[in-house]
Amino acid sequence: MVEAKTVETQTLPQSAPGEREFMLDVRTQDMEVNMGPQHPATHGVMRILVRADGEVCTGAQPHLGYLHRCAEKIGENVEWLQYLPYTDRYDYLAAMNNNLGYSMAVEKLMGIEIPRRALMIRTICAELNRIGSHLIAFGTYGLDIGAFTPFLYMFREREWMMALFEKICGARLTYSYIRIGGVFNDAPPGWLSEVERFCDTFEQKWQEYVDLLMVNHIFVQRTANIGVISRAMALDFGLTGPMLRGSGVDWDLRRDMPYELYAEIWKDGVFSIPLGRGEHGTLGDCWDRSYVRVMEMIESIKIVRWCLGAITPGPVIADIPKTLRVPAGEAYVGIENPRGELGHYVVSDGGKVAVRCRVRGPSFTNLAVLEELMPGALLADAVAIIGSTDIVVGETDR
Amino acid sequence: MDFRGILDRLRATGAPGLLGHDLPRAADPKDKKDKGRGGDPFLWVEPAQLPAFLERCRDDERLRFELLIDLTAVDPSKDDPNLWVVVSLLSLAHRHRLTVKCALPKAAASLPSSVPVYRAAQWHERECGEMYGITFAGHPDPRHILLPEDWVGAPLRKDYVFPDEYHGISCK
Repeated sequence: MVEAKTVETQTLPQSAPGEREFMLDVRTQDMEVNMGPQHPATHGVMRILVRADGEVCTGAQPHLGYLHRCAEKIGENVEWLQYLPYTDRYDYLAAMNNNLGYSMAVEKLMGIEIPRRALMIRTICAELNRIGSHLIAFGTYGLDIGAFTPFLYMFREREWMMALFEKICGARLTYSYIRIGGVFNDAPPGWLSEVERFCDTFEQKWQEYVDLLMVNHIFVQRTANIGVISRAMALDFGLTGPMLRGSGVDWDLRRDMPYELYAEIWKDGVFSIPLGRGEHGTLGDCWDRSYVRVMEMIESIKIVRWCLGAITPGPVIADIPKTLRVPAGEAYVGIENPRGELGHYVVSDGGKVAVRCRVRGPSFTNLAVLEELMPGALLADAVAIIGSTDIVVGETDR
Repeated sequence: MDFRGILDRLRATGAPGLLGHDLPRAADPKDKKDKGRGGDPFLWVEPAQLPAFLERCRDDERLRFELLIDLTAVDPSKDDPNLWVVVSLLSLAHRHRLTVKCALPKAAASLPSSVPVYRAAQWHERECGEMYGITFAGHPDPRHILLPEDWVGAPLRKDYVFPDEYHGISCK
């Protein structure tokens, strides 16, 4: 899994027999350590070439592309609607959000008006998926740095969330449920009340995660003051989502450039935007990023509850033809995915197939900061830093 | 600020390399072939001036595009002699977006790198470069990023021919 190779062979000074082994042990020289392509902490197939001098990292070079599946090329070869299942597969932990981003980009070009009930269901699904995604992000982060139990607890809640999605669309991971023009079908009877029960239970469990992991002394020690991203650095690298908010930058597309129903929800004062505050260390450290994710889960619950209270019967999909012809033009739509801004830039010439279907994955941009964060960090903290970027390799490679 | 306001500000301050703009428009009823154009407005910028233009966008007090959200390219069609490089900018302070485009000839697709202005451009330019065969002059690390280092051709160009095999692996 991890292979070490010496890159620079230094000539050792002449020494007495037996002393040589000792020297090999203590001398410092740059080593290149391959983390991956199959490493549990990379959460996918990715290789990071870490250069280390003793215990200190002197550089890191992420090597991507192991999971490259030509999503953008496929987008130029299949019809607009046919591309939807491919969107599930870049950030497979937040497939609902990906469906939403792509649908919104096509809808923007077509100028379709979405029925209100569909908007409500979309928001519920997107926020539930955000919770599921953060559960994985936070749970596996604990796992990476040695806390096994919270991870299993979080999978329990995520399992329920996936069962809810299975009931509404039949799939557990790759939903293709949010369609161009609305959602695929209406929620089955009793589904909304089960979502409400999920919210009730989740709020209690959420407190457990905070007690178990977030304020756990060991967790704080492993994450505070590690991998500090300053505000200027976050902006320079184009970070978005919890990576940006962890550095104290107050920015959330749901509030600042609202789409769908978020303007209304924000106006009602339903949710707030958690920011990193440097509570246990420096502003913008790994702890702050985890804090933002954990707090966002409970904000998402509030949004889901608002939708459950406001939802009314009605149609769930606009009247759109089976074979879409999207008017000529180009549109960029960015939405707040659990990992940051997911952008879809679509170009149409008026035909059945896109001219360009660009995906701006937040994981890709967020990962780039690693090259800057690693030098100077301890080798033991490498995993903590990589985990805190919360990447999904399906999205970095697309 | 809306697109018109951004454009006026850039014109008033003499932004380097600004060539023109393109607004969405309805189809001309007299011309049956004209389909009009929907979606977002964008700016045309001279490729050689792109980094200077982006720097202006970033540093102007009224614009303040702190984030480079995306940098990519488009091959509009097989017959088009040009590629477009498309940059998406976002301002947190003023809550506005801007799309900037450069037209590059396919035969000599090269422009200066924007990494000195936004480091976010580093990986985007690597990806854009390998997928479209564009050279970003002065890029600090112009290796392939998603493709293997020995991959031949620019896969996202419309005239790309799929290889029959790669290191003995059949691609058919």
